[in-house]
Amino acid sequence: MHENEKNYKRYLLRNEQYKEQTQGLEAKKKQYLKSKLTASERLDILFDKDTFFEIDKFVLPIKPDFGKESLAYGDGVLTGVGMIMGRQVFVFAQDFNILGGSLGFTHARKIQKVQDMALKTGSPIVGLIDSGGAKIQDGITSLGGYAGIFHRNVQSSGVIPQISVVMGPAAGGAVYSPALTDFVFMTDKTSYMFVTGPNVVKEVLNEEVTSEELGGAMVHAKNSGVAQFVYEDEESTLKGVRKLLSFLPSNNLENPPYVKTKDVHNRIEEKLRDIIPSDPNKSYDVKTVIELIIDDGRFFEVSMHFAQNIVVGFARMNGNTIGIVANQPKVLAGTLDIASSMKAARFVRYCDCFNIPILAIEDVPGFMPGIDQEHNGIIKHGAKLLYAFSEATVPRITLILRKAYGGAYCVMNSKDIGSDFNFAWPTGEIAVMGPEGAVIIIYKRELAATEDPAKLKKELVEKYRSETTNPFVAEEKGFIDEVIDPAETRNKLILAFEITRNKAVIKPARKHGNIPL
Amino acid sequence: MKIKEDLKFKSLLIANRGEIAIRIISSARKLGVSTFVLKTAKEPKALYLKHADRIIDLSENNNGINEFLDVELIIGIAKQYEIDAIHPGYGFLAENAMFAERCALENICFIGPTHDVIHKMGNKTIAKEIAIKNKIPVVGGSNGAVKSIVDALQVTSEIGFPVIIKASSGGGGRGMRIVTNADEMEKLYNLASVEAGKAFNDSSVFIEKYIRNPKHIEFQILADEHGNVVHLGERDCSIQRKHQKLIEEAPAAVLNSSLRKKMGDAAIKIAKAVKYTNAGTVEFLLDENLDFYFMEMNTRIQVEHPVTEAITGLDLIEWQFRIASGHKLSFTQDEIKLAGCAIEFRINAEDVESNFSPNQGTINRINFPNGKYIRIDTGVENGSVVTPYFDSMIVKIIVTGSNRLKALANARTALNKFMIEGVKTTVPFFKAVLNNEKFLTGNYNTSFIEKEMTVYSYKEENEEMVAALFAAMDFYKDEKLENESYIDYKKGKNLSPWLFNNRLK
Repeated sequence: MHENEKNYKRYLLRNEQYKEQTQGLEAKKKQYLKSKLTASERLDILFDKDTFFEIDKFVLPIKPDFGKESLAYGDGVLTGVGMIMGRQVFVFAQDFNILGGSLGFTHARKIQKVQDMALKTGSPIVGLIDSGGAKIQDGITSLGGYAGIFHRNVQSSGVIPQISVVMGPAAGGAVYSPALTDFVFMTDKTSYMFVTGPNVVKEVLNEEVTSEELGGAMVHAKNSGVAQFVYEDEESTLKGVRKLLSFLPSNNLENPPYVKTKDVHNRIEEKLRDIIPSDPNKSYDVKTVIELIIDDGRFFEVSMHFAQNIVVGFARMNGNTIGIVANQPKVLAGTLDIASSMKAARFVRYCDCFNIPILAIEDVPGFMPGIDQEHNGIIKHGAKLLYAFSEATVPRITLILRKAYGGAYCVMNSKDIGSDFNFAWPTGEIAVMGPEGAVIIIYKRELAATEDPAKLKKELVEKYRSETTNPFVAEEKGFIDEVIDPAETRNKLILAFEITRNKAVIKPARKHGNIPL
Repeated sequence: MKIKEDLKFKSLLIANRGEIAIRIISSARKLGVSTFVLKTAKEPKALYLKHADRIIDLSENNNGINEFLDVELIIGIAKQYEIDAIHPGYGFLAENAMFAERCALENICFIGPTHDVIHKMGNKTIAKEIAIKNKIPVVGGSNGAVKSIVDALQVTSEIGFPVIIKASSGGGGRGMRIVTNADEMEKLYNLASVEAGKAFNDSSVFIEKYIRNPKHIEFQILADEHGNVVHLGERDCSIQRKHQKLIEEAPAAVLNSSLRKKMGDAAIKIAKAVKYTNAGTVEFLLDENLDFYFMEMNTRIQVEHPVTEAITGLDLIEWQFRIASGHKLSFTQDEIKLAGCAIEFRINAEDVESNFSPNQGTINRINFPNGKYIRIDTGVENGSVVTPYFDSMIVKIIVTGSNRLKALANARTALNKFMIEGVKTTVPFFKAVLNNEKFLTGNYNTSFIEKEMTVYSYKEENEEMVAALFAAMDFYKDEKLENESYIDYKKGKNLSPWLFNNRLK
């Protein structure tokens, strides 16, 4: 046989083998039994049809320090590039069928290669994680591999969007790559993440816990906040990734993509006039306000299960992406506590990295009081949010719906920490503290002297309310740019975002600031 | 029939809300009377406010009494704004003799009968005595309040079981109990009495023979101050649930003209006996042998008055105004012609499938059917809020036809075209009724819902499939939006030099 022909045959055979290995019946069966898809099926959902271009298909694992040599092509990870909604995105997808998706030297080098290419080309990168962890056989080269990935994660941070999608186990060191990236997606019931697994927990602490209880998707969505997005199956998880990307630019020099909308910019929304209950202690759902303001009511919430007293997420205003940070009066009266400060701070910094203008929607009675909060460091965690807002150079707009009290007022993107436009509804209450608390301090003596303190207090509260806690005082002093008709909120905000579109802030030269971590 | 529209009053306070307030305003406007309504904190954006000439804002009022029940408040407002007349609508103060008396004392024209008549007819025991005196058949019973259980058993031994215990000053089904044997008497008597006490501040009850499966037939009458009384035919209000009417029609399918005359004459007789004036309704029970019994008289305009208007061509509210101004009726009994058939459906914001429980919320969207054969009396519009503070009726759909069959066909069309989003309504129930053979043939009585209705809400064939199809279409529309070509990356890449040069500095 001619040499060329032989090679061509070999080429076909290898392709055949690879196809069988990644897409064959055997591979599918194994994953389906665990309610999971194969790596290659996942990529079909993630990318636009027939756009995935795979690289390093046939690299082989290195000869191990210990144990049997493996001859699996690709070393348990698929890497390459494809199009998501018409835009180039790099990807790596671990394949649990090949050696449990364990990360060995070659596996790591493949991932690093796409990480490098993503950074060089200024393209987003998505990692689909489904791996048993480090490949023990590869020894130190495996650990080095992880570290190399982490380093690239850090180098890319704030330059290109990095998204991790956990679709199976991610244990030990493997969790730190997702932790370093911008967003973590998880699929409910089939994915989990932890630094030390149930076995170690049992050994060291003698506590019985399942993987799901220790680090399941809902645990990370609700309790730890590690996962920003949880979906019930893999298909919707991957569609969620596509949706998230539609809000983001490819890198930190671009603006986010524009999406044409039929929603008119000056839509009058009369419902907004009635949304704030007349009883100041009653709550309402701030998401209703958000949905009535933004394009087509399409709000893409981030971390919706974690620290629900603050709502963060992406939306569009007149076609342009914005990030929204809103106090949620429905949960814990919308107070700022440790968890909500951290959640919002990270989101604000994300928006700032990627040129996404920020809208702060404010109804906050103050910081959450309590021994637990103070002892766990509400001071430094609250400071993170203050720092994040204050350093952000993207257009920043604040809308005060109702309460804006004390330190929480300052933190929530107030005029003096560099906000560009501050609006308030006529229902706004802006003051150092609420009327009840304030009159007790200011009129302590008078209240002690009077015969009917309850009556006097009521009168003083009324006086304080009418003279101090309304938005007009703040407007007259220039701390609020304009008190607006709630029904016209959308129009005003769009106008403000248009005006600030070209905002650029010259920052003092420094290596980097020192956010209170 | 031209009458000189010279009313005694120029301005009118409507001590009511919802559709009836709007209904009253429309007649008042035709006769050139300016209208005042009350705005309450409970529904500050209600539709009726938009129809009135003047709104009196009571939203800051918080003396704890329902504004529409606060006699002194309403009288005070009438005086303060120099309003000549008050129309109470139905419910609230409509049958409150004290209120009517206060109006008379303050020289305000009360649109309705005199307080004396309201008092007499409002007390069922007195009303029944009057009927007996005038030889109108009544259901046998205690001839007044029973004082004790012994009394009650005594009466029962004369008229036989089953009997019904009713509150002397009641209505709406509260304080009512049906007793089928002597053993139950003590328990049910006490229950009825306690309930009556709570609901009407009067724990006295009376007993009467309970008539099984009767029809509820009522006659509309008009009486002027000059002794002229006419009846405007009857309404069949037998479709009731827990003594609350849901569907009313005129004329009643079972009445022939001789029975109509007999019952109508009885109604007129009783009205004359008390020197009744203005619009009123005489209610009868009609048993399976077509024997009728006087039940009570309602001394107000009723919810279901539009069906009578539809078959007589008269505007009852206008006539209330004229009568109150001392006008004579411009027609005699013989001149009143009943033409066609009309059916009214009370669209309540209730969840039929959970036992007709009130269903509150915002009406996001409402679309009314329209056409020659359809009349809509509504108290709501797009964006209206259905609150827990008032009764759940939000719309009345009145359909007509040259005969009952045609009216039924029109009813079907009207209900199919009625669309509402945001709250659940009694419409599915009405659709189910319109598919019931007994209702279609007119062969129904007050036990219809209890006995004949197995399913309370009508579902189209394949309704779930259709819903699933729409949901799927929605999903794909959404998904399409999420897809490839809709994103414009170029626009994001076009940066102004200012931004480009300063962004990373």
